Amino acid sequence: MDFSLVVQTILNGLANGALYAVIASGFVLVYRATSVVNFAIAEFMLIGAYLTYTMSLFFPLLVALLLALPLAFAFGVLVERGFVRPLLGRNVVAVIMATIGLAATLDGTALILWGPDQKAMGAADISQLPKEMPNLAFNMGGVFLSSKAVWSLILALPLAILLVTLLKYSRYGILLRAVSESETAALAMGINAPRVVAVAWGISAMMAAIGGAFLAGAAGGGGPGHHLVLLGLIVFPVAILGGFDSVPGAVVAGLLIGLIEAFSQLYLESFLPGITQAIPFLIVLLVLLFRPYGLFGQHRIERV
Amino acid sequence: MKMNRRQVLKAGLAASAVYSPWMIARAQARPVKLAAILPLTGAFAFAGNAALDAFRDATDRINDAGGIGGRRFELVVEDDGYDVARGTAAFNRIVQRESPEELVFVYGNSTGLSKALAPEITRLRLPYTATSFSNELADPKTYPTIFVFGPTYNDMAGALLQQIRRQKGRGAKIFLCYSNSEFGRDPIPFIKEQSARLGFQIVGEEVTPLAIADATPIVTKLRQAQPDFVIVHGYVLTVEPLLIRAAREQGIRATFMGTYYSAELALMQRAGAAADGFIVAYHNAYYYDTTVPAVEQIRALRRAKGRDLSYRTTYYMGSWMAMDVIAEAMRRANAAGKLNRPGMIEALDSLGDYNAGGQVRNMRWVERRLPFTKLWRANVRDVRFDAITDWVDGSKL
Repeated sequence: MDFSLVVQTILNGLANGALYAVIASGFVLVYRATSVVNFAIAEFMLIGAYLTYTMSLFFPLLVALLLALPLAFAFGVLVERGFVRPLLGRNVVAVIMATIGLAATLDGTALILWGPDQKAMGAADISQLPKEMPNLAFNMGGVFLSSKAVWSLILALPLAILLVTLLKYSRYGILLRAVSESETAALAMGINAPRVVAVAWGISAMMAAIGGAFLAGAAGGGGPGHHLVLLGLIVFPVAILGGFDSVPGAVVAGLLIGLIEAFSQLYLESFLPGITQAIPFLIVLLVLLFRPYGLFGQHRIERV
Repeated sequence: MKMNRRQVLKAGLAASAVYSPWMIARAQARPVKLAAILPLTGAFAFAGNAALDAFRDATDRINDAGGIGGRRFELVVEDDGYDVARGTAAFNRIVQRESPEELVFVYGNSTGLSKALAPEITRLRLPYTATSFSNELADPKTYPTIFVFGPTYNDMAGALLQQIRRQKGRGAKIFLCYSNSEFGRDPIPFIKEQSARLGFQIVGEEVTPLAIADATPIVTKLRQAQPDFVIVHGYVLTVEPLLIRAAREQGIRATFMGTYYSAELALMQRAGAAADGFIVAYHNAYYYDTTVPAVEQIRALRRAKGRDLSYRTTYYMGSWMAMDVIAEAMRRANAAGKLNRPGMIEALDSLGDYNAGGQVRNMRWVERRLPFTKLWRANVRDVRFDAITDWVDGSKL
């Protein structure tokens, strides 16, 4: 076995996994705060990618991404205020159906606002070439890392880890955990639970925007478009493997699935075409059968 | 037979009713319809909406010229979201709702949907074409009412293999990368079979979803296989830019090649400099090529209607061409007094002498498809595809 190839596959797998981790950690954050499964998470990626695209028409891409983040945060808060909060306390099926409806609404909104044409970051019309983040691709001792992989490792992975740390040690993290344990008790303690929940949605939208922007070619080779919704489906196996209510679990599971995908693509795909696409969902099946609370999820028994 | 006065009066009234100007006007007022099932939402919305734009332009052109033999031409549009189940439901709705005397053509979407609908289309004897260039559809013995308005994916692959023979000759090493879909798999057996015959070597094969997050594992295989050519098929610029970008970053110098749905300028827009030299098989005109009469027609129409004159995509151009040809078939069917489904088939078959304004080489069907295409090379400096061949018959290898 070629050692440099293995190292390269590990690094690329981690880089992709970092993107999965950053998106899934935002998804899990919302679930922890509100017990709402956000089926529109892929559309959050789509909107985040389009916001980055819009900013990239006026600014260099790195600046555009940084400017898109507060917009994505505001979008998340808006969704929570306008769409989710009125439904809290309703039957869980109603809320699930509502987020599925939200996904369709956001798909349509993106189509209306940004149009159906194929786009590239920073290119206002077809005669322009794309803008990209500075190219950080390198080749060292036969180990090659693409610019996208390097950016994922230096931006997405630390962000996901930062989120985990903040949740554990910051004041907001403690407030969020209190709200997730019992919103009523948190309110009785004087915690502004609605604000905590709104911030969770905002952060989730920001994390999705980062993932969406990179998957839409912020570091080269793509563009925003509806295919992001297909890529966004990966969030569900990642979250289930991680334990669904564990942000650190989502980060670890994201990295793990990124690694498994990379090795599968390299070694299994030739013998079993399509296996890489199926593997995350096979993992979900196994997890649900043998360890329904995932890697780090709480062992909870719910009476329904 | 003797008729009494009452019977004569009745017969006279009936005859005057049948031949009255009112009846004639009613028949002429009945529209002639084309139903289009397009992906107006979802991952292929860019193609569906461009096609709809072209259909609307072409509809205006037909009706501005008096319709088809005085009958108004109408579009019936349904969205399938690039989903076979939704497309099938849309098709069923259309054929149940529309009268067979009015609905004389259906324009469908995707290889998957077209293959799913083909038996029913044949049963209904409904003239049909689609956005798909699947080889299976160009089979008049099995599907006598289906037309492929261009070369099949096999023909496109054939043209690319001819180019490989010209550039490298026997021993050329080819790597195949295609999507795990009906669309993606369509020409692969043909490419393998013909490559073996021509002395080419398939040194690797990669099957992926329609969209991928990272192309590095594929490029790693390219590095191991060291191909001279990489044929990419079954995507709509979701994978190609990522792949060529990563390949060039890693120093892969192979020539990348693609088919119709890779032939859009967005390839260069998304992949940047890495797209330079990408060769595509594409059989319509580019909107920027003002030497093509059809392009001038489109521009003139849009100018007259006060519509946006900026770049129209290849998906627009292909749809305009299809509508232009279908409208001509309707005119011929009407002139022959057979503006109905069987009449449309006959009229389409008679189009060999029709000049489609430079949008295709000619309208001579070979097994109900038009096997000629051109090869084009991406020129990133000018953000254009430059023709590198004249018309090539992809079926002749």
